[in-house]
This record gives sequence, C-alpha cells and structure tokens, in this order.
Amino acid sequence: MSGLSVGMVIFLIAVGLSLIFGTLKVLNLAHAAFYMLGAYLCFWVSSLIGQSIGSFWVSLLIAPLLVALFGGIVEMLLLRKIYDREVLDQFLLTFALILIIGDLCKLAWGVDYHTVDTPWPLNAPVIFKGLIFPRYNLFIILFAPLLWAGLWSLIHKTRLGSIIRAVTHNREMASALGVNVSYVYTGVFMLGCWLAGLGGALVAPMSAVMPGMDAVVLIDCFIIVVVGGLGSLSGAFLGSVIFGLVTAFGILIAPRLAIAFGFILMIVVLIIRPWGLMGKPE
Amino acid sequence: MEDKKSQAVKSKPIAIGMAFALLAILPQILGPGDLSLVNEMLILGVAASGLNLMMGYAGMVSFGPAGLYVVGAYTMALLLFYTELPFGIALVAAPVIAGIVSLVVGWFCVRLTHVYFSLLTLAFSQIIHTIIFEWYGFTKGDDGIVDIRVPGFIDSITNYYYFTLIIAGISLALIWMIVKSPFGKTLQAIRENPDRTEFIGIHVRSYQLAAFVLSGVFLGVAGALYCGFSHSVFPDFGDIMKSTEILVVCLLGGIYHFLGPMVGAVVYMFLDKTISSYTEYWPLVLGVVIVLLVIFLRGGIVGFVTEKIAMAKQRKTAEAEDYVSS
Repeated sequence: MSGLSVGMVIFLIAVGLSLIFGTLKVLNLAHAAFYMLGAYLCFWVSSLIGQSIGSFWVSLLIAPLLVALFGGIVEMLLLRKIYDREVLDQFLLTFALILIIGDLCKLAWGVDYHTVDTPWPLNAPVIFKGLIFPRYNLFIILFAPLLWAGLWSLIHKTRLGSIIRAVTHNREMASALGVNVSYVYTGVFMLGCWLAGLGGALVAPMSAVMPGMDAVVLIDCFIIVVVGGLGSLSGAFLGSVIFGLVTAFGILIAPRLAIAFGFILMIVVLIIRPWGLMGKPE
Repeated sequence: MEDKKSQAVKSKPIAIGMAFALLAILPQILGPGDLSLVNEMLILGVAASGLNLMMGYAGMVSFGPAGLYVVGAYTMALLLFYTELPFGIALVAAPVIAGIVSLVVGWFCVRLTHVYFSLLTLAFSQIIHTIIFEWYGFTKGDDGIVDIRVPGFIDSITNYYYFTLIIAGISLALIWMIVKSPFGKTLQAIRENPDRTEFIGIHVRSYQLAAFVLSGVFLGVAGALYCGFSHSVFPDFGDIMKSTEILVVCLLGGIYHFLGPMVGAVVYMFLDKTISSYTEYWPLVLGVVIVLLVIFLRGGIVGFVTEKIAMAKQRKTAEAEDYVSS
C-alpha cells in the first residue's frame, strides 16, 4: 500500500521529467533535486503557518508553485544557454544544479531530518475487511492518476497543448508560425518542476524530509522514463507499472540486488528499443 | 616561418624533459601532505586522460567512467587481499580486467548514439557499483577493503609518488601515441562526422569499441594506482559522483587538448583540497564552478589559454604588418 502510493508519486515526478525531455530535449538530472526542494518547501511553509488544520493543504498549493518559480528562473538564466550544446554540457550543468540545490537546502534547513504531520482529515486509517489502510495513501493513489489524466487532456485536447506539441515536434516550424518558443520552453520547464515539487510536497507527510532524499528518486525516475520512452506521457505510465513489477519481482527473488533489476530493465530496453516502449524513434 | 616550426618541434622534448625533472625533484621540495596531493592529481589525471581518449578524441560521451575505474581498483584489491600473487601481477591484471569489462559493456554501448549511448554507460556503471556494494561476501560491500598489502619499496609516500609518476608517464606516452597514430586520427574523423567516415570504408563501430576498451584500460590503470595509493578501496569509487568528477576534470582542463585532462586534474584537486579546508559546502562551490565552466569556458583552461595565445600572436603579426605597410 505504501509502496503503491510512493510509486504514484515517483510516477508524477517521472511525468515531469519526461515532459521536459520531450519538449526541451534536455536530460534534466536535477529533476529530483526539485522534488527535494518541494518537500523542504512544504515543510517550511507548513511550519510557518503553524499548527492550524489547513496548513498542509496551503503548503501543498504553495510549495510546488515556488518550485516552479525557481525552475523558471533556472531555465531563463542557465538552461536556455545550452539547448544547442552537446549532451555532455547538459549532463554537467544539471548535475551542478543537484549539488547547488542540495547544499542550499542544507544551508537553509540544516542536515537533520524534518517531518510533516499527516494532514486532517486524512490522518485516520480506513478499516476495510479487517485490513488497515492509511487514508493519506489512498488519497495519493486516487489523486495521482486524476492529475495525470488532467495533464494528458491539457496536452492532447487544449489549444495550449497543441502549441506545446507543435514545439515538441518541430521547433523551427512552430517558431516560423508565430509561436514564441522560448515562452513555451520556460512554461514547460516550470510545469515539469511544478510536478516534481508537487511530488516532494506529497511525499513530505509519508517520509522524512532530509538531504539526499533525491538520489533514489532520481534513479527510479530515469529508469521509468527511459523504459517508457523519453518524452512520452503514456510511456511514463507504462514505465512506472513495468518498473514497479520488475522491482517487486526483484525483491522477491534477490532483495539485495533489487536496484540492479531496474538497471537491467533499462539496459534491455535501451538495447532493443533505445527510444523506449512508447516513444518514437528520432 | 619554417625555422620557427622546427624550433617548436625541438623545444617540445625539452619542455617535457624539464616538466619531468621538476616532477622528479618535487619530493625534495614538498612535505608529505602536498606530495600525496600531487600523487592524487597524477592518478586523477590518468583517469581523465583515459576517458578523454574516448570522449575528446572519439566524441563518445560516457556518463559512467567510474564504473571501469572501480573495476581496476577492485581487481587489484581483491587479488592482493585473497591471493598471494605478487603486486606486479595485480597491477597488470587491473587494466586487463577493466579492458575485458569495457569490451562487454562497450559492445552493447557502441550500438547506440547520442544521449542513449551516454545513458547506457551510466546504467552499466550503476550495475557495477550495485554489484560491488551488495556482494558483501566477496567485496565487503560498504566497508570496503582496507589494509591492502603493497611491496615495501613503494610503501613510503615518496617512493609511491615516483612509482605513480612512472606509471602515469608511461600511460600518457601511450595515449599520446594512440591519438597521434592513424587509428587516433580515424577516431577524430568519427567524432567530426561518423556517417562520412563510414562512407569511406571505415567500420565505425569497431573503432568506437576499440576506443571504449582502450579508455577502459587506462581508467583501470588509474583505479589500480589509487588502490595502491590509499591501500584501500570502497564502492563509492564507482558511483555517479566519481564519474562526474572525472568528467568535470576533463571539461575543466579542456577536452580538445591532449594535456587538458591533466591540467584539469591539477586544478580540480587543488580547488577540492583548498576549498574543503575552508567550508563544508564544497559541493556548492563545485556546482557553481561547473555552471560557470559550462556556460562561459567551454574550451576549458587549456582551450582558453591557447585561444588567448593565438589571439596575442595574431595581434603581433597584425601590428608587424601595419608597421611594414606604413
């Protein structure tokens, strides 16, 4: 149960990562750092508000927006300069962001772990047929697919979505047709960061907020996105499911090497179908 | 003009000789602390030069060089820990095993291009790291292997420094010969345009695989040197942080120059030690340095300096021409 809800959060973060790669063609290693920032900001905002009933919900709203804002600044100041560069520059720049964001979080909130209380009215468990389900986890399991559906309709059914898809498909052509490509890039990057930040805020009541919480998530997200197909939203969904199954299977037969199963999955997909299960070949 | 060129050719061996002479007398000048810092610089320089053989010359960007570095280090450590084999054999075995692993990993990787190539190298290095980390019965996992025996004659820091200097010198000479050979030139052709190179009848994948393996061999050498230097090995020699360190070193020095990675290693280690002694936030500083490098200093330090020298020379000749024409 808790595994499934954590999986749902990772899925949301992976969707953001995939969205950013699809449109900006940048492999954002720092994506999980934005997730961590979201978790810290959620803790910070809710502790600023204090012990009132709605404090978590307010910070769930505010923290991801702050992360998106920060992401927008990063995109405009740094990422924008390296879109035409080689993959090495992207790797190094986004890795540098991991170091910077990680240390800034340490500077701001220290190295100790922080916790966020499970919010009302989800702090009581649901008892169903003698089994206990934490309500908060149920909420996430329902919320994440809804959000994904909303995002899918945004991309595939609205005018804004068609602009994003046009830019993703052919940047020069879209630009020639009067689309302001750099606005779209900033917007999509902010949307991706918002998703990462939301993931962080959602995780905060379930696990400790502390330095290094981004490392594991980063690896999981990468495997999911590569397996599903870089840039594909439905691929991120399929990737999450397969990754979840493979990891569960791995834990069953060789618990210590469970992480390796994820990598093996990624390697197999990269070798057979480098563009991923649902992606399109370049 | 021709005179100048032959002069430059003649002065090169002299410069190299002087550099070696300077490095050889360092133990007389520096204390043990600084000497071991120089030692680490040399080792990191060998690793970065090995990576650059593949990255700078063949244009294959690996995100997982530490995966092969750690194979070299653990080969040496495990042989010396579990067997009675002499040090020399372990030292040879490290690059050989690293080369064999690169052959297997590379065979898959060269089938992919661009970002997919890089991602696959990352995935393989993570698997290697996971195996070393989790196989506690054999590799001692997170505890690492400590107190590795080394022969008496290189036990002191000064002697180990000379040992590193010799191995690093040989490695760099070999890499130099490789990149200046027809094979090395072919790699550069592949970097510039793989399709055209294929059209003139060169089997690009075989060349890329060869570059991958050679690169792995030198990463293995560096890993073994570090194992002997610290008398211990740990799984984090093979993690993504170490991979990035080697990549940053290459970029810092300049990937399109032979000595770039070596210069990068010297500057990087110096910054690391100096800044770490002032603040615990070395990663923050490193992050800012990388951002500045990527955005403003693309050719690295060596690239920047050679560019400035070229510009100064151009100005000089332009001035001279102005003088003549007036």
